[in-house]
Amino acid sequence: MSRKRGREVRLLVMLALAAAALFWAIPFAWMLVASLRPESASAADIASLIPSGTIGFGNFAEAWSEGTFPLWYFNTFLMCGGILAVQCVTVSAAGYAFARLSFPGRTVLFYLFLLQLMLVPPILIVPNLTTIVSLGLYDRLPGVMAPYLASAFGTFLMRQTFRSIPRDYEDAAMLDGASLPQVIWHVLLPLARPGLAAFAIVSVSYHWNEFLWPLIALSSPENQVLTVGLASFTSGAESATEWGVIAAGTLLVAAPLILIFVIFQRRIVSSFVFTGIK
Amino acid sequence: MLRPWRAAIAAAAGILISAGAARAATTDIDLYFPVPVQGKLVIEIRQLIGEFNKAHPDIHVTAVYTGSYDNTNLKTRAAIKAGSPPGAVIMSANFVRSYEINHEAISLDPLIEKDGMTPKSFMAEFWPALADNAVIDGQVYGVPFQNSTPLLYYSVDAFKQAGLDPDHPPVTWQDFVTDAKKLTVVKDGTVTRYGFEMPGTYDYLGWIVSGLAMSDGGQYFNHGYGGEVYYDQPSTLGAVMLLDEMVNKLHVMPPGVTDANAAATAFFTGHTAMMVLSTGALTFVRDNMKAPFKVAFMPYNIQPAAPIGGGSLIIPEGNSPDRVAAAWTLIKWLVSPEIAGRWSRFTGYFAPRIAAYDLPAMKAYLAKYPDANVALEQLKYAVPWFDTFETVAVREAMENQVQAVLSGRTTPEAAVKAAQATAETLMKPYVDKTALDIPQ
Repeated sequence: MSRKRGREVRLLVMLALAAAALFWAIPFAWMLVASLRPESASAADIASLIPSGTIGFGNFAEAWSEGTFPLWYFNTFLMCGGILAVQCVTVSAAGYAFARLSFPGRTVLFYLFLLQLMLVPPILIVPNLTTIVSLGLYDRLPGVMAPYLASAFGTFLMRQTFRSIPRDYEDAAMLDGASLPQVIWHVLLPLARPGLAAFAIVSVSYHWNEFLWPLIALSSPENQVLTVGLASFTSGAESATEWGVIAAGTLLVAAPLILIFVIFQRRIVSSFVFTGIK
Repeated sequence: MLRPWRAAIAAAAGILISAGAARAATTDIDLYFPVPVQGKLVIEIRQLIGEFNKAHPDIHVTAVYTGSYDNTNLKTRAAIKAGSPPGAVIMSANFVRSYEINHEAISLDPLIEKDGMTPKSFMAEFWPALADNAVIDGQVYGVPFQNSTPLLYYSVDAFKQAGLDPDHPPVTWQDFVTDAKKLTVVKDGTVTRYGFEMPGTYDYLGWIVSGLAMSDGGQYFNHGYGGEVYYDQPSTLGAVMLLDEMVNKLHVMPPGVTDANAAATAFFTGHTAMMVLSTGALTFVRDNMKAPFKVAFMPYNIQPAAPIGGGSLIIPEGNSPDRVAAAWTLIKWLVSPEIAGRWSRFTGYFAPRIAAYDLPAMKAYLAKYPDANVALEQLKYAVPWFDTFETVAVREAMENQVQAVLSGRTTPEAAVKAAQATAETLMKPYVDKTALDIPQ
């Protein structure tokens, strides 16, 4: 009897979750339907989730021909990859320092780090721009990456991750004669991998989607990234817009992230569960 | 003793001269451009710039796409502050005044005079209504490049069904309200077709309301001074009352805030019989409206009036003299009758340069698309675009209140009073420093 009731409850929960998932999927479904709808179907059908007209890839072809997508992909990969590579080093090092080393002013310094999280990024646009101009990095990809090479969020996350690892592992390694770099590289980092993975996801999806800073810091068409490129055919202020082409372009921009999520879904979810991020 | 010094100085001078010569060989400048209408404009403008570079081997221009008008403004300001301004920018025409106020754009008068023209004879090449947003405090700061006015679009079928003559669109507000009532269709208590719809979103709403206030005999803002608006005046109150009447009393216009896409979609599907959109949307409407439609002037109460919109070319402060010279060559080329006409036909904007309409290609275009003529004829009644100190914030002070009226949350009287008070607070720092700054 109770087992049966348990099954019923579980079924209800499953139904509720399925409904929520369906709800979240609507924008993606709409994007897919709109991108496959032929241009001749008129702007009137655009709100509909039901495909109309003959399904075709005309919008994708048009979006592809309006922009230089291969270049934008390349630049975006380079930007996100570059930022992440440097961040992994800086946030692990800083996270370790805050978690394990004791030095005067550690707590104050850590709170100062956390304070950065309260700043709204657009406030820093002009100071950051002035800095990268004086460094000679204006309109270059390293210039876009520069302000993100250290991350307060990442440092916080790695500090928490390191603190959750029992000291016994380090002590054991030390007793076996490992040096501090060896301890970090062979013992702590492998154990902290879920934390790093969670941070990588947040970092990559943030920088992949960022618009304002690349718009400001980059000018030459050959340095452009996906988001800024996409906007070139989406912002029609004085006339209505070609939704089909926009939907196709948006799918092209989002596709790599969606693919990565689908492929690594299990690992991503377990990292988030491990670190407690939602 | 002096010799090595002299040699060093000579060498340094030599390097400087050769560096100068190398720079004179090709001057690299950026042109920031926003894309305010839909279409393959990015490709078209890059093609234009390619042609310019070919024709001017001593200048190399890079066309830099900078998003919406607002983002272009943001990027330009940031670039000026960081010390690497672009050579030229296509800037929303009503932001030019704030660039002058903040000393962020250069006066073009010296460049015009060097070409043997006077600022007056230079501006005489453009439609007269464009001057107010380009000439600030007596000097030329902007060169009009792409311009528009609001236009009344109406469905021929809806007019016929309502027993109205499609060749006689509403001219006065009285006609407008009478026709809108006849055009509205109610089935079982729900409206299946509204008489009229218009965009109620930021920028568009302020633009249309300013047009209505000016058609109601008013000025809406002080066209010559950036510290005064006339929100709490009968002419503006009348304009807001008209919208209130149509939305909340007669129900011939949908309540709440409609955006430009929604208004256009409602027009295409027959859910609204009339709408106001920019002349810049003409090509888009022509391509998407399957039923026949026509365009007409904005209806008026006291006098016909249509506010100008669009973009002007400016040269930001902080460029070296040779970059300024290169930017000026580019600007003159972009607004030449031939290029201005070509850009107009491609975008749907009207060409600011009067002589563009004397060229055969333009005459052929107007013969093929007579509705483009209406936009041009309306220029007779064109009035300047809203620009003040802190243009965007002062404009939004009014737009927030009108949106509240459209949603039935406030009355027109309270709305214009509140908008005036907010606007005055915003402009106070400027007013204190200018009009109220009297010698003691």
